[in-house]
Amino acid sequence: MMRAFKKMLKIELKLSLRGMDMVIFAICFPVVMVILLGIIYGSKPAYSGASYTFLEQSFGAISTIAICAGGVMGLPLLVSDYRYRKILKRFKVTPTSPALIIAVHLVIYAIYSVVSLILICLVATLFFGCNLGGSLIGFLGSYILVMLSMFSIGMMVGGIAPNMKIASIVASILYFPMLIFSGATLPYEVMPNALQKAVDVLPLTQGIKLLKATSLGLPVNDVLSAIIIMGVIAIICSSISIKFFRWE
Amino acid sequence: METIKVEKLSKMYDGIPAVCDLSLLVKRGEVFGLIGANGAGKSTSIECILGTKTADSGSVSILGMNPIKERKKLFERVGVQFQESNYQDKITVSELCEETQSLYKTFNDYRQLLKQFGISDKGKSLVNELSGGQKQRLFIVLALIPNPEVVVLDELTTGLDSRARRDVWRLIADLRSKGLTILLTSHFMDEVEALCDRIGILKNGKMIFCGTVQEAIAASPYEKLEDAYLWYTDEEVNDDESI
Repeated sequence: MMRAFKKMLKIELKLSLRGMDMVIFAICFPVVMVILLGIIYGSKPAYSGASYTFLEQSFGAISTIAICAGGVMGLPLLVSDYRYRKILKRFKVTPTSPALIIAVHLVIYAIYSVVSLILICLVATLFFGCNLGGSLIGFLGSYILVMLSMFSIGMMVGGIAPNMKIASIVASILYFPMLIFSGATLPYEVMPNALQKAVDVLPLTQGIKLLKATSLGLPVNDVLSAIIIMGVIAIICSSISIKFFRWE
Repeated sequence: METIKVEKLSKMYDGIPAVCDLSLLVKRGEVFGLIGANGAGKSTSIECILGTKTADSGSVSILGMNPIKERKKLFERVGVQFQESNYQDKITVSELCEETQSLYKTFNDYRQLLKQFGISDKGKSLVNELSGGQKQRLFIVLALIPNPEVVVLDELTTGLDSRARRDVWRLIADLRSKGLTILLTSHFMDEVEALCDRIGILKNGKMIFCGTVQEAIAASPYEKLEDAYLWYTDEEVNDDESI
């Protein structure tokens, strides 16, 4: 089992890199975002009198781009593609299970997320003098929570969408608004008040709030409600995907 | 000794029977061919036998095991090739073989098999870019990687040209001479005649004949399997005969 997992991780990772989508959306895109914000805002404070810069404030949000690309976009498309190609069915007539290849891909998307996080951290601190003085443990804990909730949304969409077309439509409907409105690309702070209230319902918005507070070392308001919202989403979506997953 | 034993297998789709009361026995070392028109229930039968679809009723045992309950143990010893090619986009031949190999505790070296099947120079090629005949040979290689005792091949040569079909036949004949038990489906009469020890003819999900090719011909008014098959499966001819 472990041998199969390692071998498949190696081959599927190669295939994924060959596909390039994740390299562009999960690795290049967030790094370019950091570079752009760094060039545009430099070491300007987030607002006049703020103790941290605009880029430092955006760091938490940018760190979720790779999670979204993998969890909300990559995962649903991959699951429905492998179902359509009957790869999942092929695994049913082997001594392993189709769940194995899905698990391999969850790990691959987690790897993309972590690589992206390390890269943007390096770029932000080395080239733009970001000083992230928050709690590392708090940040990583929030990061894992965001990953769990986003991946479970992706598993649910991929698991129950009847075909690739529907999976791709639903993934786009979830991916683009979340990316734009939750603060991952457009900073939450520049949104009008009414819009801020509206996007507060997106689980990613809550995740980014946590990441932002923990990366900057700010006190977190409503930390409990943010954790609860994301935890509940992770539990509901993963239960639905386990119960209703279509293997073919 | 029965290697594959199917008893009264039935499966309905939305109230329409796809497989109806199917029973068959395949002995050790035998090549059994399920034949029938498209939609006659060949693939559904194979899937119910393998347990990738759950039958509504009936029982299946392969090598004395239940394919659903003892799936993991059984498929160490059974190799399967499904009708549709099911592999990842942009995967190469050797990657697909290595990945398949990693799933089994004991396995044949895929390089040896590729060589034996005349595609050892294709290791670095994308599976997508192989010709139909090369792909089909690759899929047989994949089915043979676990060093199986039983091989199930669905629509072995559909879409291949005559030369490629003959090549595949020769390979199957080799496997048969090595004592493998083979269950295959086909809609080519020359193919089952050349390869199978026994055949089962399916029509609308029912097995309307089961026996050797010679028996199939002898029980019909014709001298060729193709004619006999059409006679078995064609209701109008049957009705005319009975009048």
